[in-house]
Amino acid sequence: MSDVLLTANGLTKVFGHGRAAVRAVDAVDLGVACGEVVLIMGPSGSGKTTLLSMMGGLLRPSSGCVQLDGIELTTLGPRALTRLRRRSIGFVFQTFNLLESLNARENVEIALNIAGSRGAEARERATRLLTEAGLGGRLDFRVGELSGGERQRVAIARALANEPLLLLADEPTANLDSEHGLEVMALLRERARGDGRSAIVVSHDDRVRPFADRVLNLVDGRLADERSATLRADVAPEQSSDVADREQADDLVAVEHEGAFERTLGHLGHSV
Amino acid sequence: MVPLASRNLLADKRRFTMSLAGVGFAVLLVLIVVSLYRGWSNVGRFYEQMPGQLWLSQPATSDPFHSTSFLPLADRPRVARVAGVRSVDPVYARHIAFTHRGTSLDVFAMALGVPAGRYAVPRGTIDIDRVLAAEAGVGVGDELRVLGRSLRVFRTHSGGNSIFQTAFVNSADARSMFGIDSLTNFFLISLQRGADAAAVARRLSAAMPGVEVHTSQQFAQSFANRVNAGFLAVVDVLVGIGLVVGGAVIALTTYTATVERRREYGVLKAVGASRGFLFGVVLRQSLIVGALGTALGIAATAAATRIIERRVPEFITVLTIRDATAVFGLALATSVIASYVPVRRIERIDPAEAFRP
Repeated sequence: MSDVLLTANGLTKVFGHGRAAVRAVDAVDLGVACGEVVLIMGPSGSGKTTLLSMMGGLLRPSSGCVQLDGIELTTLGPRALTRLRRRSIGFVFQTFNLLESLNARENVEIALNIAGSRGAEARERATRLLTEAGLGGRLDFRVGELSGGERQRVAIARALANEPLLLLADEPTANLDSEHGLEVMALLRERARGDGRSAIVVSHDDRVRPFADRVLNLVDGRLADERSATLRADVAPEQSSDVADREQADDLVAVEHEGAFERTLGHLGHSV
Repeated sequence: MVPLASRNLLADKRRFTMSLAGVGFAVLLVLIVVSLYRGWSNVGRFYEQMPGQLWLSQPATSDPFHSTSFLPLADRPRVARVAGVRSVDPVYARHIAFTHRGTSLDVFAMALGVPAGRYAVPRGTIDIDRVLAAEAGVGVGDELRVLGRSLRVFRTHSGGNSIFQTAFVNSADARSMFGIDSLTNFFLISLQRGADAAAVARRLSAAMPGVEVHTSQQFAQSFANRVNAGFLAVVDVLVGIGLVVGGAVIALTTYTATVERRREYGVLKAVGASRGFLFGVVLRQSLIVGALGTALGIAATAAATRIIERRVPEFITVLTIRDATAVFGLALATSVIASYVPVRRIERIDPAEAFRP
């Protein structure tokens, strides 16, 4: 695997035609290194989700290209894109998007089933992922019985189920209160960086900023600071901007205590 | 494997129960009609229960119930001399319409010239079907006035239905009542032990020119063919309606369960679920409704046929494992077809919808 996991060049998405055409994403160049957590911020309607959809192989760009781990996404057919999403990308959604009829464990297990893992193997891995996310006592809880924060943690466990190279999170804290939002971001950052995978988070929530290695601003479909968007191959994530914020986030990240995911809420509140 | 299909269905237990009831009711409709049809078709098997293997009749006779025949009674000794024949009994048979206490009745009356056994009836008596007894409001020991003769009910038997009932009378009484002293309608022939029926039939045809030889099975089959000709089209229509209703219930259930979870299918697509995986979920939903609903329908039919047998004996229903299995197979095939529209719907879901709040 190269040091740069994902690159986007001239990524553009235009919806509609002629005078009604809307340029949602406009010639975005972006590089994301392995193990890096990139936050893309911007107001509503700035094109964040469209950009994320194109990088996740869910939406075909009007022009430009996206490479993930050396594979050009724009040349892949629907089946190959589906396979790529299954193997290499984990999604975390604003509204959690868990399957209501399943319990927490099954929501993670089904992602493993989709990738071909069945039976006890899938069940054990789902249990381990949820336990690591601090939901060991909620395995059999239905989605409706979980709090918002717990649901998003289940969603993160599901996104991680098939050990993707890249996590894509769309407004992961938007439907959570301050406390749960920070818990979720801490978990997301820990699981992304801890396992050497990259994460791209789009959000308009300023509280998320400390958890990113790099913060980019998207305005009217264009990245405001193009120099920080394109990562040079010789620049490691640790050398990128927002170091102070990242140190602050390190203080916020949950501590492992006897295998359980815990955090000190007082400390959290003080730091934030 | 996570049982997503069953979980989706059970998420709304009331609708799931109603779907099963709908499919079950359609299957009940289909199987009851088929069971009635089987019951009708089997009525002709009473020919096979009679004490003989071969029948002699006038040419162009289908079976005693559907056509008549007259043979000289004097031919009996000639028939008896044919090699392989053990005994020859005259059989008198005709439809009789009569009125009892203001009720118009119709019965297929038969008389066998046998000295003893199930079909031997004493003079001045009649052995009637239970359905006829119920319609006439008579029981054993009661009197019935038939063709100007007063006959005491000697015994009742089962096997008839709302349209076809038999009555057995004494052969001497029959000759006198039917006014055919020197004739019989048929000869019923019992074969010697080990005799080859086909060979005896050939010898009978040679010895009795202008007379037809039938086996009891041929008469039973002829009867069944007549029933089939009259009822099969109706049965086909009703079975078709039942399958369409059942298929529609399955399709509607699967479609609703798919459409209302459109977003979830979009999410599954986004996280890499293949077409096969998603179609498998829809197909399993459809098959679960189809299989459980059909099982429910078969169980309900089994119960219904027992109740019918007890409460309404004139409706003879025969539920066979073969018919139940065939309906089950058809229901599963219908389930597969019913999943087509939901599957097409899933195909059109854009996985990018998962990002829409």
